[in-house]
Amino acid sequence: MSPESIEVLISLLFPLVLLIGTYLIGTLLERRHFTDLRAREEHFRGFPAITFENLPAGWEATSSDVVQGSVVVSLDYFKRFIAALRALVGGRVKSYEPLLDRARREANLRMIEDATSRGFHAVINVRLETSRMASARGDGKGTAGIEILAYGTAIRLASPPS
Amino acid sequence: MQFPIIVTNTETVPGRQIVEFYGVVTGNSVRAKHVGRDIMAGLKNLVGGELKGYTELLQESRQEAAGRMVEQAQSMGANAVVNLRFATSSIAQGAAELFAYGTAVRVE
Amino acid sequence: MRFTPRLPRDGINVSQEHPLKEATVLIVGLGAVFALLFILLVWLVDIVLLLVPAEAEARVFSSWDLSSLEVLSDDSRQAPVQELVERLAAHWPESPYEFRVEIMPGDEANAMALPGGLILVTEGLLDQVETENELALVMGHELGHFKHRDHIRRLGRVTVLTIGAAVVSSSAARVSLADTVGNLATRSFGRDDEREADRFGLELVQAEFGHVAGAWKFFERLDASALGIDRVAAYLSTHPGNRDRIDDLRALAAARGWPLDGEPVSLALGLR
Repeated sequence: MSPESIEVLISLLFPLVLLIGTYLIGTLLERRHFTDLRAREEHFRGFPAITFENLPAGWEATSSDVVQGSVVVSLDYFKRFIAALRALVGGRVKSYEPLLDRARREANLRMIEDATSRGFHAVINVRLETSRMASARGDGKGTAGIEILAYGTAIRLASPPS
Repeated sequence: MQFPIIVTNTETVPGRQIVEFYGVVTGNSVRAKHVGRDIMAGLKNLVGGELKGYTELLQESRQEAAGRMVEQAQSMGANAVVNLRFATSSIAQGAAELFAYGTAVRVE
Repeated sequence: MRFTPRLPRDGINVSQEHPLKEATVLIVGLGAVFALLFILLVWLVDIVLLLVPAEAEARVFSSWDLSSLEVLSDDSRQAPVQELVERLAAHWPESPYEFRVEIMPGDEANAMALPGGLILVTEGLLDQVETENELALVMGHELGHFKHRDHIRRLGRVTVLTIGAAVVSSSAARVSLADTVGNLATRSFGRDDEREADRFGLELVQAEFGHVAGAWKFFERLDASALGIDRVAAYLSTHPGNRDRIDDLRALAAARGWPLDGEPVSLALGLR
């Protein structure tokens, strides 16, 4: 084989190996994170976190403070490749869905963990913000992340729920 | 937008009484515009005014996000979602996420 | 108002379709679209470029800027090769070009036809040819490219590829793929052109020497040494397999009744 065709082969193989590798690792990490999220959600299931602006009727608060949880995430190489191809065709970008779902649930759980660790009993007026961080380089390449922020007002109740 | 259950963006359901609440429900949808739509919008962009292609794209997407949120609420046994909020954010070049969230409740 | 803790059903916000399925559909679909687009563009550029008369091309490119190319400007071997090319070109009187030969440094044996009548010959080729007849066939082959205007079409293909690569270059992974596939495509496209050029080359050799003996000896040597020697790889990568082309030339000579026996002319003094 000539050195030229070896070069061609390498330039074809390298992205392919990277795609397969990041797909396998990315899928594994995603699956693990979903399992972890579900377990923590079960654990904090009894903790009310709602979007009401006011206290639900019949509740009596003794103190309150703002709590928040945030997370910055990015797609793996394989999914980014698929999303880039999808951007040429248009339509539903499925590769982003699990990422955003994970990120949002993670941010929400971090907010709840913040609230429980400080002895609060519930969070009201929960809001979820999404923003894209500009990439470090000006040309639109480089690492760009998506930040999800969950915040709300945590309240301590006069008569805590059992 | 029409949903199989009551959806409001107020904290109450006018004329009904909230008896039970379950938690936050969310729905998302990420869409990318396709090249054809992009070219048409690019032409329209020269003269300004409504970019019909994009209006439709985002509307479809928002409908889907809200639909998923309602599906979550139904899976919790709720019959209404109150305090609905929409958020639109640019996720990547040419792709936008429509996100809907609210609190799942049961009304009587 | 009572709080009843409940979790929504899992997976509502995530599409259940397998990501590999989407990947396959996208890659195959887009690949087909790009391939079609490429073929269509090359075809269009071919037509447009071939509408440009050869005279106009010769005029436009006659002042080809050699500074971007690495050529040995005052090499003593240039004159004898130039003289051979002119002798061959005399058998193609209607040629609109004024041919110009330049020597390029490098061990690989290769020759190229560029727009405007410019022929590039590597030092490696001059080192490896043994008779004037061998060199004449290689040069005649390049003249054949000018006759069929393959050089201008190759220019068109390279232009399409370059523009195409620039358009999709927003992702690094896509560029390297597009480049590679494009290069391979350009090569396989060229094979028929190479055969035609070979035939024209042999015709010129016959006209010049009165026989075709020893003309394809160079290819035979390349074929024998092809295994394990990288020097010939460059020539092979843009030219058809030597076995095939020798067979083709032999058949052509037989069909036209060109004599296979004759004494090959030794190389001019400066080339030995």
